[in-house]
Amino acid sequence: MEMKPDLTLDLKGLLCPMPVVKINQAIKNVPIGGIIEAYATDPGVMADIPAWCRSTGNELVTIEKQDKVIRFVVRRLK
Amino acid sequence: MSERVQQALAVFEKSLDRRLLAALEVCARCGICAESCHVFAAEPDFRNAPAAKAEAVRRFYRRVHDPIGRLFPWWVGAKDLSEADLEELAEIAFGACTLCRRCTMNCPMGVDTALIMRAARAMLTAVGKAPEMLTQLADAAIAREENLEFFREFYIDQIRELERELQEQTGDPDARIPVEKAGAEILYVALSGAHTILPAAVLFHAVGADWTLSLFEAANYGYFLADLQRAKAIARRIVDEARRLGVKEIILAECGHAYTVLRWEAPNWFDDFPFRVRSIIEAAAEWIQQGRLPLDPSANPEPVTYHDSCNLGRNGGLLEEPRIILRAVVQDFREMSPNRAENFCCGGGAGLVAVPEWYEKRMRAGRRKVEQIRQTGARIVVASCDNCRLQLGDLSEYYGLGVRVSGLMDLVVNAYLAARRMKATAPVAPTWVHAVEPA
Repeated sequence: MEMKPDLTLDLKGLLCPMPVVKINQAIKNVPIGGIIEAYATDPGVMADIPAWCRSTGNELVTIEKQDKVIRFVVRRLK
Repeated sequence: MSERVQQALAVFEKSLDRRLLAALEVCARCGICAESCHVFAAEPDFRNAPAAKAEAVRRFYRRVHDPIGRLFPWWVGAKDLSEADLEELAEIAFGACTLCRRCTMNCPMGVDTALIMRAARAMLTAVGKAPEMLTQLADAAIAREENLEFFREFYIDQIRELERELQEQTGDPDARIPVEKAGAEILYVALSGAHTILPAAVLFHAVGADWTLSLFEAANYGYFLADLQRAKAIARRIVDEARRLGVKEIILAECGHAYTVLRWEAPNWFDDFPFRVRSIIEAAAEWIQQGRLPLDPSANPEPVTYHDSCNLGRNGGLLEEPRIILRAVVQDFREMSPNRAENFCCGGGAGLVAVPEWYEKRMRAGRRKVEQIRQTGARIVVASCDNCRLQLGDLSEYYGLGVRVSGLMDLVVNAYLAARRMKATAPVAPTWVHAVEPA
C-alpha cells in the first residue's frame, strides 16, 4: 500500500547537487519515520539520491522513472 | 583547552609546510588585497579583507610559533584558539572565502590567503565544524563507489536513454555512449546529470573519438572540505577506472574544481598516473583549430559574455581556449572587464552554492559579478563550471539580470548541428568544381 508522504517536493529542473541539497534541507522538517516524496528531472538523482541515503543512513523506499520525471520516496531514519 | 580545539590545532600543525609558513609570515598588512576580493568589493567592511580573514588563523599561529606571541601575546595580537573561535573560523573559511586566489594575484608579496583558508577548512572538517552539506555530498560520492553494483544498473539504464537522444541529434542510429569500454583512448568524466554528457557525446561523435564514459562524476566535495583523505578517495575512483580500462587520456567535463583536482593535484597524490588529463575545453579548442568541427556561429546570434571560472582560468591556466571556442561558435562575443586571470569570482565557488543557509551571503558576494555582466549588455553568460553556472543563474534571478546561463559545449553543439543542417540542405556542387581542385 502506498504511504502518505509527510512532505512532497518538486525538484524538477534542478541540476546536481541541488536535488541532494534540497532533500537534505527538507528531511529536517519531517519527524523520524516520516516520509518525503520528491519529483526530479535530472537523471543524476538516480545515482545521487541512493548514495546520499546510504551515506546518511536514511531509507530509500523507492526510486522510479515515470517518463521524463523521476519519483523517489525517502524515509527519515535518524 | 578543549579536546576539540586540541584536535583542530594538531591538524593545523600537520599542514604547516613551507608554503603555508610563507603565507602566514610574509603579510605586510598593506591592505591591497582588500580591493581585489569580491566579498570586500560587495561589502567594504575591513573584516572582509583577505588579510583580516587570514588574521583569524594568524592569531593562534603566532601564539604557538612566534617567540613574542608565546611570551607577550597582546603585543603581537596572538591568541589561544577557543571553541568560539572555531565557529567564527568556519564562517570565514567556508562562508567568506571562495579560495579564488584573486587576492594572491594582486598581493605584492604573493601571500596565498586561499592556502591559509584551506588549512583552516582542513582543521574545521576534522573536528566536525565543516558545513554538513559538503560533508554529505563528499560521503555520497564515496558511497557511490562502495555500492557500485547497485548504481551501475541505474546509471547504464540512464545512459541508454541519453543514447537515443544522441542518435536523434546526430541523425546516426549507430551513435553510442560507450560505458566501461576497455582499451578506449579517452575516459570522459562528466558531472552528475545529462547536461554534461550529451553535448560531449555529440562532439566525440563528430570528431570520431575513441572514448568511454566514466561511471563516476568529476565533482569532488572532499576537495572543498580540504580533507585530503576524502578528496583522494573520490579521485581514486576515476584514476582506478582509467587504469582498469587502459585509457591514454582523461577528459573532464566543464567543471572548475574537478580540473584542479585531477589535472593539478591528483598526479601528486598517486604513484601510478600514466595518462594525460585535459578539460573538454582544451579538446574542443584543439578540434576547432584543426578544422575537425564544422561550425555555424549564426546558430548563436545573441550577445554572449564569458565568465572565467577561478579554478579553470586564474588557477588552471585555461584562459585562451574558451575564447578560441567562443570566437568560432558565437556571432557577438563580448569580454567582461576585468577578465581572464583578473576576473572576479562569481561568489559561489569552493562549495558555497551547496550550502543553503549561505544563500544571502553568496548573493551579496556576487554583486561585483552582476555589475560586470550588466556592463557587457550580454544576453547569455557562459561559464565552464557547474558551481559558477548555479551561482550565475541565482544571481540573474535575484538581481533581475534577465540573462541565460549556458555551458560552453552547449554553444559548440548548437553551432555544430547548425553547420551540419546547412551542409545537408546545401545544393550539390557541380562536378567541374572538383575537377579543378589541386591534387
